[in-house]
Amino acid sequence: MSTSARFWTGIDPLDKMLGGGFMRGDSVLIAGSAGTGKSTLCLQYLVQGAKEGEPGIYLTFEELPDQLYRDAANIGMDLRTLEREKKLKVICTSPDVMVEAEGVQAILEGPIAEINARRIAVDSLSHFSMFVKPEDMRLQVYRTVMFFKTKNLSSLLCWEAPQLTGQTFGVSEEGISFLTDCIVLLRYIEIESGIRRGIVVLKMRGSAHDKLLREYEITSTGIKVQAPFTEYEGLLAGSPTKRASEKFAELFTKASAGKK
Amino acid sequence: MISGKDLLERLLSSEAKGEMLTLFHKNPGLIDTVDGIGRRVGKSKEQIEVDVKDFVEMGILKAIKAGKLTLYSLNAQRDQEIQASLAEYFGGLKA
Repeated sequence: MSTSARFWTGIDPLDKMLGGGFMRGDSVLIAGSAGTGKSTLCLQYLVQGAKEGEPGIYLTFEELPDQLYRDAANIGMDLRTLEREKKLKVICTSPDVMVEAEGVQAILEGPIAEINARRIAVDSLSHFSMFVKPEDMRLQVYRTVMFFKTKNLSSLLCWEAPQLTGQTFGVSEEGISFLTDCIVLLRYIEIESGIRRGIVVLKMRGSAHDKLLREYEITSTGIKVQAPFTEYEGLLAGSPTKRASEKFAELFTKASAGKK
Repeated sequence: MISGKDLLERLLSSEAKGEMLTLFHKNPGLIDTVDGIGRRVGKSKEQIEVDVKDFVEMGILKAIKAGKLTLYSLNAQRDQEIQASLAEYFGGLKA
């Protein structure tokens, strides 16, 4: 359960990685490329809030709510019922509305008051870049983050990282990573010709957190976080190699098998 | 008071109106500009502008000012009233 200081995400191992959940009032950047599960993580976070009496808002720019209802139903979430019960509100708008001077207030003030929202997920901040110059992006994100903090909303902000695998990590390009309190990275990892997914907490202001890169899967009930990739190193650099100890163990096993 | 028949004719007087009604009923949380609504139904701002204004006049859509922009969203209460009027009209036709 959430506490007075922490919000549970609804994903037990992730809450443990975060030292008990996200800090209340924090703005959390969820960075990852397409298909890594950013929206799924946001939905789990909001549905967990709904279960705990902490209503939330899902703000989407690209995906229409209708699509979101369907995708959520596929992982066992009934968003329409939660909306009827005033535990959730799905809002869809164009990103240019959010970058307009009074856009954020016009879109969100009514719904926040209507359901007494405590959580919000924005999917995704990257859409701002279609309407904002790169040098103004930081100010735009700052305005949005500060609006959420003023309204006592804890926020998950999705960020589309362009790379699928490899070294590049585009969050710091516009200085957005400095504006958020916590960064969770979701990414694809190529290991032995297979694509796997890894999750890591890169930053968490004011709290200790797990530094290990863990494997996760997107299942029929949402994101399932598993054990750390302890056998490999160089995963975030995009060139994973087995640790020397693992390599030695593998060679030893092969050699032993050969002698039999 | 407008009759059920007239209401139905006004609601479906253009293809764009039918598409916008479907869009807002499937996505009641949509709040967007005329331009944004147009993009979502595959039409230009010019093609839907008059119909959006008519929906606002009928009370189906609410207009909200946001700086220089005007945003439109479904007026759920008025929408239910219109649906009730139409149900009554269709009920009368059956009888």
